[in-house]
Amino acid sequence: MDTYEVFRRTGHKEPFTHCGAVTASDPGMALLLAKECFLRRREGEHLWVARRSDVHSFGDESLLQIGTDKTYRYPEGYRDVVAKRERARARAAEVAAS
Amino acid sequence: MSAALLGIVTALGDDELVVGHRHSEWTGFAPHIEEDVAFSSIAQDEIGHASAYYALAAKLTDDGADRLALGRDKDEYRHAILCERPNGDWAFTLARHWLYDHADALRLEAMEETSEAELRGIVAKIRREERYHLLHADIWMQRIAHGPVEGRRNLMDAVGRAFDDALGLFEPFEHEAEAVAEGILPVGSDGLRKRFLDQTSAELDRLGFPTHMISTADTEFVASSSGDLLVEEEAGDAVEHQGGLGGRSGRHSDDWSPLWDDMTKTYRENPGARW
Amino acid sequence: MTYEDRLEGFNEHIASGGKVETNDWMPDDYRLGVLKFVEMHANSEIMGAIPEREQIPHAPSLKRKMSLTAKVQDEVGHAQLLYRVAEDLGKSRDAMFSDLVNGRSKFHNVFHYPTRHWGDVAIIGWLIDGAALVTQAALLDSSYAPYSRVLKRICAEEQLHLRHGEDISLELASGTDNQRWMFQEALNRWWLPIIHFFGPRSHPDKDLLLRWKVKTRLNEDLRQEFLDRYVPKVLELGFTFPDPVPYAEGEHWLIRDGDIDWEPLEAVKRNQGPETQRRLGLRKDVFDSHRWVREALAEPAVHAA
Repeated sequence: MDTYEVFRRTGHKEPFTHCGAVTASDPGMALLLAKECFLRRREGEHLWVARRSDVHSFGDESLLQIGTDKTYRYPEGYRDVVAKRERARARAAEVAAS
Repeated sequence: MSAALLGIVTALGDDELVVGHRHSEWTGFAPHIEEDVAFSSIAQDEIGHASAYYALAAKLTDDGADRLALGRDKDEYRHAILCERPNGDWAFTLARHWLYDHADALRLEAMEETSEAELRGIVAKIRREERYHLLHADIWMQRIAHGPVEGRRNLMDAVGRAFDDALGLFEPFEHEAEAVAEGILPVGSDGLRKRFLDQTSAELDRLGFPTHMISTADTEFVASSSGDLLVEEEAGDAVEHQGGLGGRSGRHSDDWSPLWDDMTKTYRENPGARW
Repeated sequence: MTYEDRLEGFNEHIASGGKVETNDWMPDDYRLGVLKFVEMHANSEIMGAIPEREQIPHAPSLKRKMSLTAKVQDEVGHAQLLYRVAEDLGKSRDAMFSDLVNGRSKFHNVFHYPTRHWGDVAIIGWLIDGAALVTQAALLDSSYAPYSRVLKRICAEEQLHLRHGEDISLELASGTDNQRWMFQEALNRWWLPIIHFFGPRSHPDKDLLLRWKVKTRLNEDLRQEFLDRYVPKVLELGFTFPDPVPYAEGEHWLIRDGDIDWEPLEAVKRNQGPETQRRLGLRKDVFDSHRWVREALAEPAVHAA
């Protein structure tokens, strides 16, 4: 008997999400049981099961933290675009005048 | 309105209702908690199928589906005796589930060609759910059959006990001759029974189960002077073979009366009530 | 870092609203306390299925036959979700089942009582599920995150059960004299156990689960919320309450502590409720006699075709 993690997906926009776990003897049984335990209200159109032992994680999740400034990865890192447009237009005007 | 159609649809509804009733008794007690949830869905499906059949029958007779399901007298029900047998243990339940759903799959497949349009529609919907029932039954049978010897033996015994009763699913319906003539039943009960025997003996063979348990159950149906099709008992096996038969003409086992009482008493004690 | 340091850090974490996950460090008292609490909740769901499933065979319509089966199925599903949370805290499913059926662990009081007819289905579906929803909604903010996550689904399904129960109750209330009698007679038997369900007054200073925010609200507050919500709904249908009879005071519905007979709850706590031994016995029989199924599921396939 193994613990199988259950994933479901619906529609075309979102990927699979984890929704729980079943205890089963093999993948075929796990799918059968997961269907009724987690999709009996049609919460998913697609179903995956994977043995818990095949799911891995970092022992120390502080590894996932961000240390130094990474604002360049976010839209917030580019908030000064309005000011920059002004500067660029002003410089263009300068060039045109000369 | 065809008496033959009404008879068939009511009998099919009765099969589904009674077997669904039995399946629902496991809710809260199944031997594996996720399976409890899964098997309960199967129970609900069967009752839902019964509802669809009864709705059609009710339409044909200006009656009510609930009245048909829960308001008829004990001897008016036409389900096969297999359906009314008590659940026993998980081995018997599994054996009955496997046999019933294999039989149901065969008759539904044949009925996709029925001349009755509305019945065709119901059959198509039911078949979709039956695929899960069959997969479920097959996976469980394989798991137990290929597992430790205790479970395997329990299951083999149970299949042996249930098999004779299962043949009652292919006892001819009342008005079967007309039903076949009118195209309501594209394949008669006798033909379906042969398919069932072929299919199940092949499956049981694959599972490594002895097939002697089904070879003694090959009975012939002959016409009687009344026009009904009767079972010609093989000498010496008469009592056992009779065990599973009679349901299609309303002759049930001792297991039926308490079930009928439980299932119908609230409805009958409150005639005309809304729930 | 010493145990005391870690403990202090943990207490601060909890006090400031922090959550705990399965693999986080936690004091033994917290782990054991949560495990016992979740185990009791899981036990209650699986034992709670029994009284209701007693009425499935008697369902008076096809629709109710299916909907009641579905409702009980949900409860079993809740047990499955909760046993998973408990298993992940270190106790095996078999050990929990074995403790339950052998009378070594507890389940909620209401499931120790008999059901007699369809009126019980209405009361259980409306008032008992209503009570459960009040207590379970309060646990949504539990410090133990895996528990609060499954509670989200559990509460959503309980909301549905509540509608189902109210639906059934309203049909009885609008129905024949006999149907109204069914509701009233069941209410007469269930009211005291429902009051017991909320338990006596909480002791926040002594209650570790409150201190560590596994539970977040006091018993008496939850009971008050229930009374205020449901007493007027029952009265407006023309039914009456047995002891302890609620009375109106301002915006609230109160009951007198002196009107509550606590003795039946004491019997239930000793696993001596009216149906306790019979139901545990049934569960134990099925559990014991089906070891072969668990073994078949646990073993790899031994006999290839």
